[in-house]
Amino acid sequence: MIELNGVTVRYPNGVVGLDDVSLTIPDGQFVVVVGLSGAGKSTLIRTINGLVPVTEGSLKVDGVEVAGASQRRLRDVRSDIGMIFQSFNLVKRTSVMNNVMMGQMHAIPAYRSLIGAWSADEKERAFQALERVGIVEKAWTRASQLSGGQQQRVAIARALAQDPKVMLADEPVASLDPPTAQMVMKDLQRINRELDITTMVNLHFLDLARQFGDRVIGMRAGKVVFDGTGAEADDAVFEEIYGRSLTADDVLPGHA
Amino acid sequence: MSTASTASETRTVRPEEPGKARATIGAIVLVILVVAGGYLSNADWGKLPDIFTEGGRYFSLMLKGLVQNPFSEPYSEYWSAALGGMLESISMAWIGTMIGAVLSIPMGFLAARNVSHPVVVQVTRVILNAIRTLPELVFAIILLLPIFGFGPNAGALALGVGAVGTLGKLTAEALEGIDPGPVEAARASGAPGSAILRWTYWSQVLPEVLAFWLYRFEINIRASAILGIIGAGGIGSVLSQAFRYREWDFIGILLFVIIVVTVLVDAVSGAVRHRIIAGSGVSDAKVEQDAATL
Repeated sequence: MIELNGVTVRYPNGVVGLDDVSLTIPDGQFVVVVGLSGAGKSTLIRTINGLVPVTEGSLKVDGVEVAGASQRRLRDVRSDIGMIFQSFNLVKRTSVMNNVMMGQMHAIPAYRSLIGAWSADEKERAFQALERVGIVEKAWTRASQLSGGQQQRVAIARALAQDPKVMLADEPVASLDPPTAQMVMKDLQRINRELDITTMVNLHFLDLARQFGDRVIGMRAGKVVFDGTGAEADDAVFEEIYGRSLTADDVLPGHA
Repeated sequence: MSTASTASETRTVRPEEPGKARATIGAIVLVILVVAGGYLSNADWGKLPDIFTEGGRYFSLMLKGLVQNPFSEPYSEYWSAALGGMLESISMAWIGTMIGAVLSIPMGFLAARNVSHPVVVQVTRVILNAIRTLPELVFAIILLLPIFGFGPNAGALALGVGAVGTLGKLTAEALEGIDPGPVEAARASGAPGSAILRWTYWSQVLPEVLAFWLYRFEINIRASAILGIIGAGGIGSVLSQAFRYREWDFIGILLFVIIVVTVLVDAVSGAVRHRIIAGSGVSDAKVEQDAATL
């Protein structure tokens, strides 16, 4: 369970990323966060795993306070939280296997990780994570040789190799073409259902938000302005969240 | 026809052509500097034409050694001394490069702004800059010859220390140029600092850094020949002895070996460097996989 209680995030340059946000996200829920760029979606997700520090308020992940946690404690919390990025963030010059192994680094002692001496168990876990996203055959390929969709699946496998309780995804399909975006979202949904991993996804395509969100959270200027089911989130709600009327750019091209 | 097609209906104001004064002044200053340099260097420019007369004479003397039967005395000894000396020079260069490479890894990380504390970065950079200002010859003379005596040990160490300056700086710059995305992803997974440095920073710069090492090896081969002249072993030592007795045919053989071997090593090393940076292409999947495991 993720609990935010009056969380405010102020960046060093004075910009308020989150403004007194209170949310409770129960285990296993698939939450989609929508809003314009700069509305605080990214900040919300990055605050949960401590990549962005909380200025005020309390943020607990499975009962562990993240606000003001030590580096050591933060690493423990993060090892239970997988994260997926818009630009995949793979090391392109190394193998898929080494990239997926990053998800297990928190449990591998330095003397082995420095020389890349992975145990058979660790390799098997990486293979299983790759199997979940259907690209186990690419394990020894250089990440740079994969397509965008394949790279995002490797990134999902990297997060899965952590054996996470929570999955955070920051615009995971924004740099993919529409059919690939659908596939990656379905992968995330399937993993959420099969492994019961609490999932929080930032999206800016309305149709994807409605289609996949068990729950949709709308953000505007750092505040939560909508919190409901995907079915409740009709066009009027989105116009409220966006503060303007909808256009064709707000849906995934060739889809809705 | 062509003028008609490019002519426009309206005529707007033409921008003024920029003045040429700066370029002219620059050219004059350059000429003055060249003339002043020639005058201040106290060189005897009157001897310049001798290159064509005397130079030709010595060149033919050196060429003589090359056209002799290499299996006859004393030329067989000359050739084996030249090849043996060159091998020692290459070994010296290789060991020196390895020493420099190993030492430059921690120095590179310490000097990278996105890795280390600003104070550490500044201190490390001052050390690296200081090393770079001193040529290997100076290291060999003031630091190493008194400790190791004459011989290839001193030469290899001098080359190693000299290499740390450039390799450390190049490594630091490569580290500063990495994509920060994977670093953030690693931090988000709870990975410890050691794993982040090894598998995001180091994995991203490894091909460039390997290429720097090879390039440094190429430079060190030339430098090791020079170090030999001051007594650090290798073909340079052989060359300085040959000079002492004015054995021009021997000198010719030595220069020939230095030039041919250096060009060969450069070509091989350059090809390997290119392969490391550009990758081996799709057709050769095996090599690509080998590279990926790095």
